[in-house]
Amino acid sequence: MDQSTFASRLTFHDAIETLEVDFSHYVFDAPATVDAFYDHIDARVASTGKRWYFLVNYEGCEIAPQALERFAARGKNANISYGLGAVRVRPGERMRESIRTLAERDAFRANIFDNRDQAMVALGEMRKRRELLGAPTADAYLRVNDVHLNFGGVKALTGVSFQVHRGEIASIIGPNGAGKTSMINVISGFYRPSRGRIFFDGVERSHLPAHRVARLGFARTFQNIALFKGMTTLDNIMAGRRFRHNLFTDALYLGPAKQEELRQREEVEKIIDFLEIQAIRKTPVGRLPYGLQKRVELARALASEPKVLLLDEPMAGMNVEEKEDMARFVLDVNDQWGTTIVLIEHDMGVVMDISSHVVVLDHGAKIAEGTPAEVRADPVVIRAYLGVAA
Amino acid sequence: MDVQFFFEVLIGGLLAGIMYSLVAIGFVLIYKASGVFNFAQGAMVFFAALTYVSLTERGWPFWLALVAVLLLMIVLGFVIERLVLRPLVNQPQITLFMATIGLAYFLEGAAQGIWGAQVHALELGIQDKPFSLAGISVSQFDLFASGTAALLVAVLAVFFQKTKTGRALRAVADDHQAALSVGIQLKTVWAIVWAAAGFVALVAGLLWGARTGVQFALTFTALKALPVLILGGFESIPGAIVGGLIIGATEKLAEVYIGSSIGLNIGTGLENWFPYMLALVFLLVRPEGLFGEERIERI
Amino acid sequence: MFYRLAGQFKSTYAADQQLFPIRQDRTFMVALALVAFVLVPMIANDYWLGAILIPFLILGLAALGLNILTGYTGQLSLGTAGFMAVGAFAAFNFILRVPGMPFLLALFLAGLTAALIGVVFGLPSVRIKGFYLAVATLAAQFFIEWVLTKYGWFSNHNPSGVITAQAIEIAGKRFDTPLSKYLLTLSIVTALALAAKNLARTQTGRFWMAVRDMDLAAEVIGIDITRTKLVAFAVSSFYCGVAGALWAYAYLGSVEPQAFTLDRSFQILFMIIIGGVGTVMGAFIGAAFIVLLPIALNVTAHALLPGVSSDLTSNLELVIFGGLIVFFLAVEPHGLARLWQIGKEKLRLWPFPH
Repeated sequence: MDQSTFASRLTFHDAIETLEVDFSHYVFDAPATVDAFYDHIDARVASTGKRWYFLVNYEGCEIAPQALERFAARGKNANISYGLGAVRVRPGERMRESIRTLAERDAFRANIFDNRDQAMVALGEMRKRRELLGAPTADAYLRVNDVHLNFGGVKALTGVSFQVHRGEIASIIGPNGAGKTSMINVISGFYRPSRGRIFFDGVERSHLPAHRVARLGFARTFQNIALFKGMTTLDNIMAGRRFRHNLFTDALYLGPAKQEELRQREEVEKIIDFLEIQAIRKTPVGRLPYGLQKRVELARALASEPKVLLLDEPMAGMNVEEKEDMARFVLDVNDQWGTTIVLIEHDMGVVMDISSHVVVLDHGAKIAEGTPAEVRADPVVIRAYLGVAA
Repeated sequence: MDVQFFFEVLIGGLLAGIMYSLVAIGFVLIYKASGVFNFAQGAMVFFAALTYVSLTERGWPFWLALVAVLLLMIVLGFVIERLVLRPLVNQPQITLFMATIGLAYFLEGAAQGIWGAQVHALELGIQDKPFSLAGISVSQFDLFASGTAALLVAVLAVFFQKTKTGRALRAVADDHQAALSVGIQLKTVWAIVWAAAGFVALVAGLLWGARTGVQFALTFTALKALPVLILGGFESIPGAIVGGLIIGATEKLAEVYIGSSIGLNIGTGLENWFPYMLALVFLLVRPEGLFGEERIERI
Repeated sequence: MFYRLAGQFKSTYAADQQLFPIRQDRTFMVALALVAFVLVPMIANDYWLGAILIPFLILGLAALGLNILTGYTGQLSLGTAGFMAVGAFAAFNFILRVPGMPFLLALFLAGLTAALIGVVFGLPSVRIKGFYLAVATLAAQFFIEWVLTKYGWFSNHNPSGVITAQAIEIAGKRFDTPLSKYLLTLSIVTALALAAKNLARTQTGRFWMAVRDMDLAAEVIGIDITRTKLVAFAVSSFYCGVAGALWAYAYLGSVEPQAFTLDRSFQILFMIIIGGVGTVMGAFIGAAFIVLLPIALNVTAHALLPGVSSDLTSNLELVIFGGLIVFFLAVEPHGLARLWQIGKEKLRLWPFPH
């Protein structure tokens, strides 16, 4: 393969941490072509030792059907792209289906814009969001310190401590009744710990009521979906947004109130696009199937532009396909928005795949902590799960 | 302060409170078994008393009329289960509560439509004369009412503890799902409990009717019982008794002492709202009532 | 055939967020306004205006107030009539005691007074829910009734506690005929209904509904539920207060606290159950139903059984209302407004079944 052709199509914009990839009028005629190009990109990126935003130009790009699957798999890291590409049905034929249609059909994901200018604006916004949240840090972003939780005589949590770093995906796992949901409830301020402290971004926030915790930048989803059933998808997500509004201007719906509502609606539409729930905007959520309700709940949590996202079994009760979608969304949220994520999940495969840090609870106490690999190999964890003396 | 007068007011209040408890027990029975807050309990009191008094006025003997009304209340319990509760099963509590307001209107209209709206005197053969006990004058009728209430509670206790149906009722009160899974017929249990509440309504109706005359105002006994329930908790018969005693006593004391201290004749009518304010303040301090269980919110 | 959405595409969010996004609905509303403001004044006689339409509008407004609290925010109140009484007596005293008080300002202040009292009695909602709260609102109902009856100051020491509404004068024009009172009431009610509709579709309304649908989740996503509930109590009581003042000034002319008993509260609750919980339209459909049913019942009863006693018809009324409440809760919990919606959906497809 022609490495110099590949090289000439890559531009590193250091100032905006962006790698611009030019696929314009390139023809991917076989899986091998896709691999060759992406191997080159990966190698170049790795050699810089930095993270880059991807800006991709698809103008006139053609992908042969047999190469499509590989392309979809490897093209996932395109943050922003633009231009009309095509999937060739037969050699020589062009423009059967645009890349945008494909993206919308979910062959692969990308935010696709009409032209480079629009794409640059979107890229700018994405970078701004990331910057606001700050770069990943080595210090603890969220620190749970010796938390106890009692209900009457029942001890739900006993002396749990752990840390989550900014920008990482952390998982809390453990057998049923281990206290995972109680832990999330304590972090989100829904339960008040009987003892112990919680620090966020270096500041103690142990005893705030739940709505104040939410305003600090925490958002969550629930194990048993807790959507506002009588409201539409759109209203559910809008309710998740924090913006100034007041009774009198709302009642008149004139001037600033109207403009603010419409501005917020635009932001919400971005989340709707991101999670691909355009078709159910106006549907009362009570009528939606389970998988979609879970997605709307994620959308509502994202609407508040959280710094920390708490997910309580986001994939419970889903089929394989829905799980894959949800895992991808979680990764995308973390990747594109830089959001720190703490999740509870039973599916070990998912946990091992997407999280960088795992905390194991059993009977309300922490029994292990570490990387997925460490935890998986830990005999204490194995014993807790299998319930036998190891 | 005149201590003897104070005790007279206090005891009068406590005894009057028993009358409130009588109505409140009807609420508790239904709430425990079916989770329904039955606003129509007052209307049932009125319905039972009016039917009884109308039958005796038509020459029915005491016992026959009593048995007839009792049977009627049991039939009513089954009809309510079929036509009101069953279509509304699994609805939020607040919906069921509103449905019982509708039921109350229905029963009030039906009772008056059938028997007429005039006030009837009801004679139980107990004279409402005070007698002196250690220098404190006590109403004979109130004592009789208290005795009846005690008997009623005893009968209910035996029913709940000793009979098979009673045990089924308690099982249902503890856990609907579990009760269903061991083969208890929820429908039957509900119908029985409404019938039992009808029986309690009849007893309360006779006592209240003998005291105030059988008239539309009997439906307001429900309004008297609400603050009692809030104090005592919705699920506890002892709570209903204690709540009734507290409301009865504080209401009378407030009327006599606060009423007179805020001047002129303002005190009259205090009893309409004072128990509610008391219950409200209490709610803010202990939302689950005196005997209710604290709830852990889950999400 | 005519109720079609075809060809109506929204190209802006503003168009999509309109009060009535569907063109035919807008046409219907304009037609309704024309009928109410133009046609009715031309054809209705004083009996219809004074004895049916004015009370219908005012009770509709009170039902709308209750619907904001109960239908939108999920907090059941049995104190509606109490808040109406506050409005009526507040308006009376503002006009009586403040020289030169303009009527509309007095009406507004009456609403605000009721809102304030509403917030005070709404405070328990912070800690208690469901019918515990309903019982707490009964405290408001009884306490307000008692205070207004017992303290002569509120009725300017009228021996029977009756207040006689002063003449309504706005910008030098007197409103003393049924027609002028009808138009005044209609204007105020229309303005407040539109405001309610606006509240319902903006963030204020979303917070209300969020608290109604799942208050714990609302709290966790950052909604201050205490504030949200109290705002709902305030707005609801404001509407009820204005309705109460209009009841005195535009309808009865003189009222006593006994015009605002628990029965009135129940009557208004029935309106929203029958009309439709959680819709603006439902409040008015329910009010129309409950105002018209007794009249219809009376006419029918007298036509079928000449010489029937009014006692019997009023008892029949109780039975029918009671039965209807149970029926609607069991069969159509969204009330007549929902039937109206279903009707529209059918119409959209007509003449095809699907």
